[in-house]
Amino acid sequence: MANKLFGILAEYEHPGALLKAAEKVRDAGYQKFDTYSPFPVHGMDDAMGLKNSKLGWIVLVHGLLGLTGALTMITFMAHFDYPVNISGKPFLNWPAFVPVTFELTVLLSSFGAVFGMFFLNGLPKHHHPLFNSSNFLRTTDDKFFICIESEDTLFTEDKATQLLKDAGAVTIEKIYDND
Amino acid sequence: MKHTETHDSYEFPSGSKVVQGLFTISAAAILISIAGYFVIEDKAQFYFSWLTAFSYVASISLGALAFVVIQHITRAKWSVVVRRIPEVIGSNIWVLAILFIPVILGMHSLYHWTHHEAVEADKLLQDKAPYLNVPFFVIRNVVYFLIWGFIGYFLYSKSKKQDETADHGIQTQLRRFSGPAIPILGFSLAFASFDWLMSLDPHWFSTMFGVYFFSISFQAIFPVMILITLYLRGKGLLTHTINMPHIESLGKLFFGFTVFYAYIAFSQFMLIYYANIPEEVLWFQHRVEGGYKFIAYALLLGRFVLPFVLLLKKSNKSNFGILKFTSVWILFIHAVELYWIIMPTHSAHGVHLSVLDFTALIGTITLMLALFFQKFSKGSMVPKNDPFLSESIHQH
Repeated sequence: MANKLFGILAEYEHPGALLKAAEKVRDAGYQKFDTYSPFPVHGMDDAMGLKNSKLGWIVLVHGLLGLTGALTMITFMAHFDYPVNISGKPFLNWPAFVPVTFELTVLLSSFGAVFGMFFLNGLPKHHHPLFNSSNFLRTTDDKFFICIESEDTLFTEDKATQLLKDAGAVTIEKIYDND
Repeated sequence: MKHTETHDSYEFPSGSKVVQGLFTISAAAILISIAGYFVIEDKAQFYFSWLTAFSYVASISLGALAFVVIQHITRAKWSVVVRRIPEVIGSNIWVLAILFIPVILGMHSLYHWTHHEAVEADKLLQDKAPYLNVPFFVIRNVVYFLIWGFIGYFLYSKSKKQDETADHGIQTQLRRFSGPAIPILGFSLAFASFDWLMSLDPHWFSTMFGVYFFSISFQAIFPVMILITLYLRGKGLLTHTINMPHIESLGKLFFGFTVFYAYIAFSQFMLIYYANIPEEVLWFQHRVEGGYKFIAYALLLGRFVLPFVLLLKKSNKSNFGILKFTSVWILFIHAVELYWIIMPTHSAHGVHLSVLDFTALIGTITLMLALFFQKFSKGSMVPKNDPFLSESIHQH
């Protein structure tokens, strides 16, 4: 069994401690770490130094795709493929095209938002190394965790452990990825 | 979570010449308008220009009232620091009753349905006469101004009282008041728009018109709040009280109601366009003829597409330059839209700008601004004893 070290998991007692610890980890220069809490903690994005999500751009591309796609489709159908005279209105009846264009733009945008979120989060996922820690399950109840992952370029086991301990960790655990 | 205490003074610096300056401009512009009435040959021009100017300030004041009641009913905490601005705008709404006098005086020039001979010759106008007649029109408008004056007075005076007494029960009173105030405000606003604007063309009707008037009013209140906030910021006032998250929130609502406006305005247009019933479609027909056609396209591009693109990006919603430009632009195009709604009744065959259009607009806007700053500079610029104030300041 090749047990690869996934990261160092540290437990904190309350959200304030988690926030301070996240700031310290951020200031130490780590990029690949994450915080886990039973509820959203205000100010955590700043404390972790997270940049704006790329999701907006994914949504924009999908929205524009829906917009142009809908206009092309309706123009093709109403003007080239099967023109029908509806109460003498022009075949290229732009105002009447708007509802369908709007709906398709919104539909593809929301697909972009949902599936883009799945993609960026790496979902769906059958298993995560953190679930190897039975203590970690309490993150859905009353405990707060930070995990610095071994993939981070700055990562060494001793330094990461020391940093988390200095930040006031209650327990420290090594998490292995056993597969 | 930063819990820095704010060191802002909530008092407007005394000795500011803003109010005096605005009153002077306003008096000059209104005097020119009145003088214009006696000089100009086409007396109706004065009334139409005045109605445009009146609708402009009325729509923004009503938007302010709507904003405040929505904040109370939803128990919004973020908006506490900016709430005094719409409160003051809303409390000055009684002035509109005075500004409305020229409209009453000019009814005969403005509204076709006030002509007896026209009504006698027109079956439709006879059928509408129980609603569209002079006494009932005046009574309705008196009722509107009483309702709005009371709502504006209540919201402002209670909030001021809270400044003095720090009585947290006032919060509950304001919330209880806002519940019934919302439908009352909504209906009176819709009927006022039917009376002032829709009845200019008494044959035309649109069930969407009340919502349409609300959508332009409510879109226009956010640029007003943003510009006043940024003006205060430029003077170094409330810089630690009205923070970036508040400005960004105003930007978000501005963006959101830009889309709302487009949705409503386009729905009204498209249904009428598609059904193509002569009695309905004529109103739009007059508004896509001559120079009005360009205004119609300018509204689509300028009031929806441009602000939509400018405000779409998250960082733009708190970019002062972009916010200022978009706000000034929307407040300009708001006047253009009202012009486009009102003026085709007067000069049917094309845009015919008059000096009075500008003087009336400048006069009423500066008057409302002067009254705003006069009241705003007295006492606290934020509801300083609001129980949610601290939470609002530390908003993320």
